[in-house]
Amino acid sequence: MSKPQSATEAKPQSKQEDQRKNPDREQVPDRAVGLTIMCLAIVFVAVWMALQSPQQIDSKTTELSSRAQASITGFLANAWFLPDEPLLGFVHIPAGPFTMGSNPALDRLAYENERWSSSRRQGTVQIDDFYIGLFEVTAAQFRVFVAEYPDLANEVPVDIQGDMPITNVTWPEALAYARWLQQKLENSSDTPEELRSYLAAGGQVSIPSEAEWEKAARGVDGRIFPWGNTPRAELANYGSSTMLAVGSRSCAECAFGLQDMSGNVWEITRSPFQAYPYNPNNDAENLSEDALWVMRGGSFSDGAGNVRAAVRGGVDPSVRNNTIGFRVVISKP
Amino acid sequence: MAISASYNNNSRNNKNSADKQTLASMAAFKFPLVLSISLILLSFVPRVQGNTALVWSFWGAAATLLLWQAYLLFNSKNKNEEHVFSVVLRPQHYIQAMVQFSVYAYWGYYWRPVYDHAWLMLAQLLFAYTFDMLLAWSRRREYSLGFGPFPIIFSINLFLWFRDDWFYMQFVMIAVGFMGKEYVRWNRDGRSSHIFNPSAFALGLFSLILIATNTTGLTWGQDIASTLTLAPNIYTFLFLAGLIVMYFFSITLVASMAAITLFGVSALYSASTGVPYFLDSEIPAAVFLGLHLLITDPSTSPRTPLGKAFFGVLYGLGVFGLYTLLGAMGEPTFYDKLLVVPLLNLSVIAIDRAVRSIHSTAFLNVWKESWLGGHANLAHMSIWIVIFASMSFLGKTDNKHQGDSLPFWEQACASNLSNACGRLLQLEATYCADNAAWACNEIGAYYREGIITESNQELSMAYFSRGCELKFQAACLNLLDTELVAREVPHELDLRLLLREGGQNLMTLSEQELVERACEHDWAFACENNGA
Repeated sequence: MSKPQSATEAKPQSKQEDQRKNPDREQVPDRAVGLTIMCLAIVFVAVWMALQSPQQIDSKTTELSSRAQASITGFLANAWFLPDEPLLGFVHIPAGPFTMGSNPALDRLAYENERWSSSRRQGTVQIDDFYIGLFEVTAAQFRVFVAEYPDLANEVPVDIQGDMPITNVTWPEALAYARWLQQKLENSSDTPEELRSYLAAGGQVSIPSEAEWEKAARGVDGRIFPWGNTPRAELANYGSSTMLAVGSRSCAECAFGLQDMSGNVWEITRSPFQAYPYNPNNDAENLSEDALWVMRGGSFSDGAGNVRAAVRGGVDPSVRNNTIGFRVVISKP
Repeated sequence: MAISASYNNNSRNNKNSADKQTLASMAAFKFPLVLSISLILLSFVPRVQGNTALVWSFWGAAATLLLWQAYLLFNSKNKNEEHVFSVVLRPQHYIQAMVQFSVYAYWGYYWRPVYDHAWLMLAQLLFAYTFDMLLAWSRRREYSLGFGPFPIIFSINLFLWFRDDWFYMQFVMIAVGFMGKEYVRWNRDGRSSHIFNPSAFALGLFSLILIATNTTGLTWGQDIASTLTLAPNIYTFLFLAGLIVMYFFSITLVASMAAITLFGVSALYSASTGVPYFLDSEIPAAVFLGLHLLITDPSTSPRTPLGKAFFGVLYGLGVFGLYTLLGAMGEPTFYDKLLVVPLLNLSVIAIDRAVRSIHSTAFLNVWKESWLGGHANLAHMSIWIVIFASMSFLGKTDNKHQGDSLPFWEQACASNLSNACGRLLQLEATYCADNAAWACNEIGAYYREGIITESNQELSMAYFSRGCELKFQAACLNLLDTELVAREVPHELDLRLLLREGGQNLMTLSEQELVERACEHDWAFACENNGA
């Protein structure tokens, strides 16, 4: 059968003709070796790539887990490094009213945004009972969490001394830690009965609202600092050049016995930064504004004016900063 | 031995050679040696020094090449072999390379990572030349020194680069491409020829591996595919650049038929379902690029005109099908244009055989040779120009596309139109990845509600977190209260991303212009504001 030939077709050559034109072709090494090398290269690439992600995650997880297991005095390695205290370091704050905001007549260091309203200097806020962490969340505690979410290790530098407060955590990451801790507490048989009951009754682990934080910091007697009305550098880490391990400046006289409420690191809250009077129910307003959240307590690098219990700072939810950490609460929304 | 002293006129491979000279014996080794040393020197430029893995990739590649040279040199001395290369300048190489270079220049002007990548492309060229040369010599073949590696490297880099930390894979990919050309061959029309287009072979193979190992993130593939449209009028640019290649190498039938098929099936899909097939264009720009510069290698496409047309049609259908398949598998859809080429390369003999069985010269040539004085390619080009112009006139190329409008997809999803909810999620995920906080909150809300997609609380929290970190208050509230689904209209910064229509973010547009544009996209709040 004759085939139609187009002008664009190449003329076929016979093998013999090809060999005659290329007499040295038979000397060319066999393709088998080259093909084998190529196939091996492809297999290598496939295996290597398959190992890439899992390997990285595994090694990171292993590293974090092993570091997390190192014991730290005063904290329970078998309880997510929560404090070795009767309620795993959670302190009960009873329900009731407290004074919020500052009175410039009594507190000369007060800022304008601590004023309750144009007609009132301070307000009274009633809140339910809740539990708050004795200390700021530590690096060791956060490492246990990150060990389960290793991608976070790229973002949060957890490679610091275990009893130091964790810093450089964004607002959503702090909330994620709280949610994770809630699951752990709910599912563990070692969780103290008091906490277990509170959680079962609707308690949620979170970061504090600014009202919860302020009540815990200044108590119900309206003091300016957690320990009283005058600055005392021996009771809190402020005006210094470095962050300290949690509880380093022991403060027995502080409200509810809580440590580092003033200084060491700023503590982010779950309250949006809005003008007073404080309203716990208005969180869903102003959605068109950029998010900004209240942080409290000041840090080691601040002066006495910024570590007062009523001081309000604002922080963008994406900010990572080595002077900003957080503390957890268990409260009923 | 002075290099210039050993030129001779060996003409074993002198077909198509415009200028052919041969350099013999040991002196020839100076050439790959210089290239390998250049590769090492290139590792000292700041762009490379900025990443340790990149530096080691360069050194590893250079070391491999140097060891290979040493082995060949040792062997040639022992066995008294002669390694030669000849200078062969083929227009299909340098014209193609020039066209590809123009694409880089234009695209890179609007997406700077392309220019940042220039040093790495140069390194790949050095590697490719040396590798190709040593491969030829290992096969005791004369090496044809010309612009051959340029279109291969340019073509690969138009579609896939590994990120700096994994850049050694880029060298391996190039090596595999050249080895595929050398070793994976068949006898076609009585001559031994490579089966696969070298760049398409490497791209196809590595695409498969990346998909199978779920490691697309190690490459810039997704970014490359989505940033071509940052260059304004990219379709027209690619069309004009494509005309040059079409004119010189008669690939009009392949490229135009692929484009026409894709436009056609997209239009059919759109007409029957009410939603566009591709998310943001009638043909994704990267596919349009691929059909001009990836599938048009004459040696790996059919020889008969009808075969070429059929090849183009199959490419169009292949991309169309793979887009859905990859999407259904949850894999990145940009691989569609890459995976189909090796399969088509494998089918060229069958295509040619099938069309040759047709007993009609006119049909076989798609055009009667006698028409237009035998200038069939010019005639094909003319038709393609008319078709492209018509499509442009109808707004199917560089203009605004229906799929650019998020309210359109929201409406389509609410109306249960085919695949619309999936596309909506896909589009919002893309915008969220580009830092549009509104999109993060919306997609988080969808995963929390579980209405248009399966409920996934972990995923919803991840999206809310991202939205919140981008300062979208509603997303933060959704993080705080797991029972809540707070929504809010896009903020100004979101609109600058959401309304970009595949182009640059609209950072310089005034607020009023933004609102007007949002209204054109059917954002109800914008139309209300505009009216007010």
